[in-house]
Amino acid sequence: MAIKTLEQILEGRRSQPHQLIEVLQDVQENYGYISEEAMKAAAEGLGVPLMEVYRVASFYKAFKLKPCGKNNLILCMGTACHVRGARLLSEQAVGQFGVKPGEVTPDGLFSIEHVNCLGACALGPIVRENGSYHHHMTPGKLRKLIESLRRQGTEEIQHVQTQ
Amino acid sequence: MLQYVNVSIDGAVLRATKGSSVLDTALEYGICIPHLCHVSYLSDIGACRLCIVEHVQNGRSRVTASCTLNVEEGMVVLTHTDKLRKLRHNLAELLVTQAPNSRAIQDIALRCGVKQVRYPFRNANCVLCGRCVRVCTEVWRARAIGFVGRGKDRHVEYVLGVKPDFCKQCGNCVQICPMTITPCDGPMKPGKEHLCSQCESQLMIADQNPGSCVWCKLGESFACGRYA
Amino acid sequence: MYRLNSVRELEHLRRRLCEERQNITTTIMACGGTGCQASQSRALIAAIRHELSQQGLEGKVRLRATGCHGFCEQGPIVIIEPGNVFYCHVAPDDAFEIVSQTVARGKVIERLLYTDPVSGAKARTESDIPFYQRQDRQVLSLNRLVDPCSIEDYIAAGGYSALVSVLDRVAPEEVVKDIKASGLRGRGGGGFPTGRKWTECREAPGDEKYVICNADEGDPGAYMDRCVLEGNPHLVLEGMMIGAWAVGARKGYIYVRNEYPLAVKHSRIAVEQMRELGLLGNNILGTSFSFDVAVARGGGAFVCGESTALMASLEGKVGEPRPKDVHTVVDGLYHKPTVLNNVETWANVPAIIRNGSAWFASKGTKGSKGTKILALTGRIKNTGLVEVVMGTPIRTVVFDIGGGAVNGNPIKAVQIGGPSGGCLPVSKFDLPVDFDMLREVGSMVGSGGMVVMDEGSCMVDVAKYFLAFLQDESCGKCLPCRLGIDRMLEIITDITEGRGTLKQLDLLEELGETVAETALCGLGKTAPNPVLSTLRYFRSEYEAHIKDKKCPAGVCKALITYSIDLDKCNGCGVCLRGCVHGAITGKKKEAHIIDAQLCQKCGICRSECKFDAIRVV
Repeated sequence: MAIKTLEQILEGRRSQPHQLIEVLQDVQENYGYISEEAMKAAAEGLGVPLMEVYRVASFYKAFKLKPCGKNNLILCMGTACHVRGARLLSEQAVGQFGVKPGEVTPDGLFSIEHVNCLGACALGPIVRENGSYHHHMTPGKLRKLIESLRRQGTEEIQHVQTQ
Repeated sequence: MLQYVNVSIDGAVLRATKGSSVLDTALEYGICIPHLCHVSYLSDIGACRLCIVEHVQNGRSRVTASCTLNVEEGMVVLTHTDKLRKLRHNLAELLVTQAPNSRAIQDIALRCGVKQVRYPFRNANCVLCGRCVRVCTEVWRARAIGFVGRGKDRHVEYVLGVKPDFCKQCGNCVQICPMTITPCDGPMKPGKEHLCSQCESQLMIADQNPGSCVWCKLGESFACGRYA
Repeated sequence: MYRLNSVRELEHLRRRLCEERQNITTTIMACGGTGCQASQSRALIAAIRHELSQQGLEGKVRLRATGCHGFCEQGPIVIIEPGNVFYCHVAPDDAFEIVSQTVARGKVIERLLYTDPVSGAKARTESDIPFYQRQDRQVLSLNRLVDPCSIEDYIAAGGYSALVSVLDRVAPEEVVKDIKASGLRGRGGGGFPTGRKWTECREAPGDEKYVICNADEGDPGAYMDRCVLEGNPHLVLEGMMIGAWAVGARKGYIYVRNEYPLAVKHSRIAVEQMRELGLLGNNILGTSFSFDVAVARGGGAFVCGESTALMASLEGKVGEPRPKDVHTVVDGLYHKPTVLNNVETWANVPAIIRNGSAWFASKGTKGSKGTKILALTGRIKNTGLVEVVMGTPIRTVVFDIGGGAVNGNPIKAVQIGGPSGGCLPVSKFDLPVDFDMLREVGSMVGSGGMVVMDEGSCMVDVAKYFLAFLQDESCGKCLPCRLGIDRMLEIITDITEGRGTLKQLDLLEELGETVAETALCGLGKTAPNPVLSTLRYFRSEYEAHIKDKKCPAGVCKALITYSIDLDKCNGCGVCLRGCVHGAITGKKKEAHIIDAQLCQKCGICRSECKFDAIRVV
C-alpha cells in the first residue's frame, strides 16, 4: 500500500480547520505516528495555530506522538473483557516483552496498547493485532500468538539479510 | 448601546448588563463568590468550579458555575446556601491538598472554610487553572504555551515541548499564576503537614460576612474582578 | 444505477427490485459483523460463495453478508431461507455441506443447529431458541434483510418509504408532534424525550441547523450502536433525514468512534450510494428538501460521547465539554441549533413514522416506550445483543434470555449503563428495564450495556475498575472530575490493599456526592455512580476489605494468597512454564510450590491449570 505524502493528505482540506482530526487520522494511518513535521504541515495547511495542533494530537488516544512497535498488540480492557480476565493478558504480554503498555521493545518489534472497548464484547477477551481480531483469548493463546509473530519477524529479517 | 436585565442574587434585585456573567455581576455589586480560574479580562472556562451558585428555575435549583452562566431577565440565583458552602469547602479541600504551596491557594481554601483536610497532601506545582494559557493566547496572542494531554496527564507545556522563539518572555504567565504570585513555605515541612493559617487569611472576615466583598488582600493580589 | 428524480421513480425502482428478487427464493444470510469476523466469518462467506459457484448454484441462490444477528456467543451464524434454518458456530469447512445439503436439497444439518445446553434439544429455527423467544427485535431483526453495503437491499425491503411519506406531504411540525406522541426517549444514555428535543430545536432561531448521529458508543461492554450502524446504516440515515425535515436542518453528521472501522466504512459506502442515487443533495427526489451528510471519525476519547465534546471534535478541536446552561438545541455545532441523537434513537424513527406513534407508545411502560437493545455480556451463558420491550424485568433478561449463570457460579450483580450506571444486586432483579425506575435506585438504563457479574467478581474491584476507566478518559479540565475521581480512586485503592478505614467510606460518599453536583459535564457528574451504587448495595464487601482485610471474591491482590493444593497437583508443570514472574518451582511429577514473595497474583497459573489445583485464599 503506497504511503500518502503530507501533501496528498492535505489535498482538498486546505484552510479548513475542522478537518484537523481527519488529517491527523490519515497521518497516523500512513506513518504510524504524528511527527513534528506532520504537525507543522497540518498547522500551516489548515490554518490552525501550531499549539492547537499539538494540543489535539496529544489529547486523542488514536494519535501517537512516538512510533509504536512493528506489531502493536491492542488489548481490550472493556468491562466485559475485564470480567473475563483481560488483566491477565496484559500481565502476560508485559511479562513476555519486559515493557509496559505504551512502550516499544528494544528490537522495535512489539508494543502493547490498552483500548477501552473494541465492541466485540460477547467474544472477549479480545486482542487485536495488525487488523485481525482474536477472540476468547487466554494467556496461553496470547503467548503462542506472540511467539508466532516473533518468528515471522525473525524470518523476515533473515529473508532480507540473505538478499 | 448597553442593554440591561434584572436578576435576583441572594434576594437582591440587581441591574445587570446583558451578555455578562452572573459572577461578573455579583462581583460588581460587592457580592463575593470565591473563584480561581476567573480573571476579569480573560475568557471564562468554568474549570475550577469554585464559583458555583444555585440557579433556581421552575421550582428546582441547579448547581452551576456562575462564570459561564449568562444573566437573563428574571433569573434567580443564590450564592451562599449551606449546600453551596459545603460543596465549595469540599472542592477547595481537593484543591489545597493537591497544591498547598501557595499562599493564594491556601487563602482560597480558608475562604471556603477549609481548616482541616482529609486527604494526604501532594506537592503539585500547577493547579491547571489555565490563567497562564489564556493570557498568552488571548492578550498576547502568542500561543507559546497551552494545555496538552488529557485527564490526569493534562499539563501546561510549550508548543511542541520547547520554548519557541516567538515567546518574548513577557512574564505575564508568571505574574498571573496563583502558584507564583504568593509562594509559601507551607505545610510540606516534614512533621508539619497541615494548613498553618499564618498568612493573611480570609478566615475570620469571611466567617462573619459570608457573602460580602471585604476588599481582601487575596483579591488584590489575585486580580479579582472587584479590583479590575 | 441511475439517478432518481422523483418519488415515483423511487417507487418504480422499489417495485422492480422486488420483482427481480422474487425469482430467487433461496437466501443464505451469513453474519459479517465485527464480532463474527473475529471468528473468521469472512473466510466463511468466501467459502460459501466458492461452493455456490462450484455447485452451479451461483445466480440461483442469494448469498447475503449481513450485520449482526445478536447471538454472538454462537457465531458465526448462518441463516437459510426458506425455512428460517439457524446454524451456529459455522466454520468455513462447513460451506460444502451447507450448500450441497441444506441449500440444494433442503436437508438440515443437525450438528450445526443450536443445542440447548441443559436439555440437549436441537432448535431448528430462530424462534425455537430460548435466547430469541423473549425478545422483540424491532430494530435488530432488520439486519437479516439487508447487506449493509447494498442500498438496493434496503430499498427492496421497504427502505426510505417513511422518508418519502413525509417530504412535502407532512408538515415538519406534525412530524415533531408525532415523535413527541410516541414517547421515544434517547437511547444513548440520557433518556431525554426526543420529541421535546426536536421541538426546542425547531423553535430555536436561525436558518442553519444540524442533525448529528452520536455513534461514539464509548461504554465498555456496549456494542449495540456498532451493530446497527454496521448492519443497517440506511436505517439510521433515513431516521436522520426524517429528523432533519422535522427540525429544518440541511446538513448532518455521523460521528463514529475511531475503534469501529467497519461502521465507518459501511456508513461511508451508504452515503456514497445515496448520493449516486440522488437521495442526498439539493431538492431530493424533486421535493423541497435538501440535505447532505458526512461521516466523521473520533480520535479515541470516551468523553467525545458527550454532546458538546462531540461537537468540539467535529469542529476539529479537543473534545472538552463546555457548560450546557444554554442547550445545544439552541447553541450547538458551530453555535447553531443542533439535534444530537444516538444511533438507536435515529433507527427507531422510520418505524414510528410508518406505523404511527400510537403503535410505538403501545409498547413499554408509562414513562419508557418502545423497545431497547441491550448488550448482554459477562458471566452468563448466552451473551450477545438482545432487544426487549421496555418494562421487561431484569430477571427475564438475565435468566430467560441470558440463560443464567455460567460454570455454576451464582450471579451476584448486574452493571447497567456502563461507567455512568450502577450495579444492582440480585434482589433488585425484578425491576424493569425502565428509564425512571432504574434511576430511582441509583442505576440507569444508559446506553443499554448490561454486564453480569458472579461471585467471582469483587464489587470493590468493579468500582475501582470504573474509576480507573473514567480517570483515563476524563478530559481533565474541571477540578471535581480530575481531582475528585483521583482521590476516590486513591481511597478505593487503599481499601483494596488493606489500608482502608471505615471513616473513608463516609468520605467516599461525600466526595462522590460533591463530584456529582459540581462537575462540568455528564462524565464527571455520573462518575461516582459505580462507587455510590456498590456502597449502597454491597457495603458488606467494602467492610470485609476494611475490617477483616479480606476480599471475599478472591480478587484484590493484596488481600489474597495463591497456593497449590498438594493433593490435586500432579506436577505437570504447566503453571511453572506459564508463570511470567518465576514464582513457581517444582520437579516433574512432583507437587509444585508457589513462592509467595515472588507471586504477583496475576492469576495466569490458575487459568491454565487443568486440575483445579491452584487455590486462592
